[in-house]
Parts: sequence; C-alpha cells; structure tokens
Amino acid sequence: KMEYKLRKAEPKDVPDILRLVKELAKYEEMEHQVTLTEKDLLEDGFGETQFYHCIITEVQGEDSSDGLKVVGFAMYYFTYDPWVGKQLYLEEFYVMQEYRVNKNQTQTRLGIGSGLLRHLSNLAMKTRCTGMMFVVAENNEPSVQFYKRRGAEDLSQEEGWRLFRFDKNSLVKMATPAEE
Amino acid sequence: MNFKIRAATKEDCKEISRMILELAVFEKMPDQVKISHEELERDGFCQNPFFECLVAEVPEENKSKEGNGIGKGLLSKVAEVGKKKQCVRLQLSVLDWNTPARDFYAAKGALDLTDSEGWHFIRFDNQNLDHLANEAPKD
Repeated sequence: KMEYKLRKAEPKDVPDILRLVKELAKYEEMEHQVTLTEKDLLEDGFGETQFYHCIITEVQGEDSSDGLKVVGFAMYYFTYDPWVGKQLYLEEFYVMQEYRVNKNQTQTRLGIGSGLLRHLSNLAMKTRCTGMMFVVAENNEPSVQFYKRRGAEDLSQEEGWRLFRFDKNSLVKMATPAEE
Repeated sequence: MNFKIRAATKEDCKEISRMILELAVFEKMPDQVKISHEELERDGFCQNPFFECLVAEVPEENKSKEGNGIGKGLLSKVAEVGKKKQCVRLQLSVLDWNTPARDFYAAKGALDLTDSEGWHFIRFDNQNLDHLANEAPKD
C-alpha cells in the first residue's frame, strides 16, 4: 500500500523540483533543453510575482531513519480562455517510475499520479476554472492513455489546434520597434 | 495609417468581447463562446488579474480594407512585454487550416511544435473535470 503525502511546494523544495523536471525531460528525450536553474525556480515561484504554483508528493524513505523523499510533483498556473474564462494550465506533471502504480497491484488508495490529478481538479473547481489544459507529446502513449481514460479531449486531433512557439531570438527581433 | 496600441482598460471589455466573438466565428466555433464582457471586466481588472490585454485603435476616418501592419504591431508589442519581463519564449496555438495565421507566425520565426515534436493540446472540462475531482476512492 502506497502511503504518500501531498502538499504545496516550499522554497526548500526547489532542488527536488529541478531534479524531477530534469528526470521528466530525460524521459521525453529533451533533457538538453532544460536550462532552468534553482535560482530561476526560487525567484519565479517564491518571489514577488508568482509565475507558477507547485504541488509535491512525498513518501517515507526505506529506513525509518530516512526522512520524507520527494517523488512526484505538479507545476501549474492560471491562464485565460477568452471563450470560457479561467483555466488551470497544468505545465508539468511527473511521478518517479518506481513510485507509480504497477498494473498488477490491487489498490485501496489512489496512486500518486491519480491523487495529484484529483487534487488539481478539485483546485480547478474551487477556483471556478472551467477547464484544465496541458500538452502531451503524441508518442507518449502511457500518458495519452492515462488522460483519455479519464475523459480528456485531444484538441489537436478534434479541433486542429497546433502549438506554435517563438524562441528568445525571434521574441527579441519582434520586440524591436520597426523603423518609422 | 495611424494606429495606437495601448493596454486595455475595463471600459474596452465590450469591444474586446465583440472581437472575441468575431474571431470565434472565423474559427468556426462561435457556439463555444460562453463568456461576455462582464467576465472579462471581472477577471482582467481585479486585484490579481487572470490576463493582460492590449488593444489597437484607429481614428474612425481611417477605416480601410488594406493591410496596415496593425497585426504586426500588436504581436511586436506582446513580444516587447515578454522581453521586458525576461521571458524566454512566446507560445500560442493556431488552427491547422488557418494558413494565413500559420504563415504570419512562421514568417516571424515561430516553430510548429505539433509538427516538429508531436505536441498535442489536451483539455478536461465540464463533467470530465468534475468526475476527476470526485474520483473514488476517497482518502
């Protein structure tokens, strides 16, 4: 039986958050794209303006002398859909492999991933968000199935939405005012 | 063409709401628009706003059917806001059949990540969100 504790992240959790961010990026085969530092995470999550919110999950270490170990997290923020209003945008969502539900296990309690998702859904309802949104890589079959089983819609497939991005160079170029 | 880009005020919400609907009609999904200027006024101009907004205005007599760089002006202004706040990226979503929009963004250096990396937009809403929030077993 998996005992875990779910709570709001605190500044002291920043090293663990970055560790998990890198682990997830590695799983998605894009770890070279992570340039974020602990300093960024600290400033941006616990500074004057909060650019993200974070929930973490902890389990008891193997030995009774071990402290609690951070094994999963969800990073989210609030965004706005001009058609329906407030949305909860789930930016990152990850549970370390060894702490995920094994399909052969019988569960009396929600796995950590399901627990995190339920907590976030509750939060979305409480803050009067009409939806929870995120992106998934289409080749990430386990994740795609995890979400579809729970009633998620693939808007790229159903409505044809494509994700576009401007990187820093393009952003800076556009920000420079044109000659009058 | 003289146009001015500035931060939206609460009073602009009626016009913004009108344009949101116009864009939704173009995107062939007008029935999906569920909020009006009231929600925009409440959510964009409270103590911790949920969005920021820029508007472009022209004097009445300058109405014209020709392109005048207003779209480019708005996008540049958004990029400027991002640059000032030390953002490293600007992300958005575009409909696959909206070729003018896709070309507009691509011309300015945007990458189609759905194409190059396979990212899909996923959403839980309404009843599905509700079900997730109430999923058994309880703690």
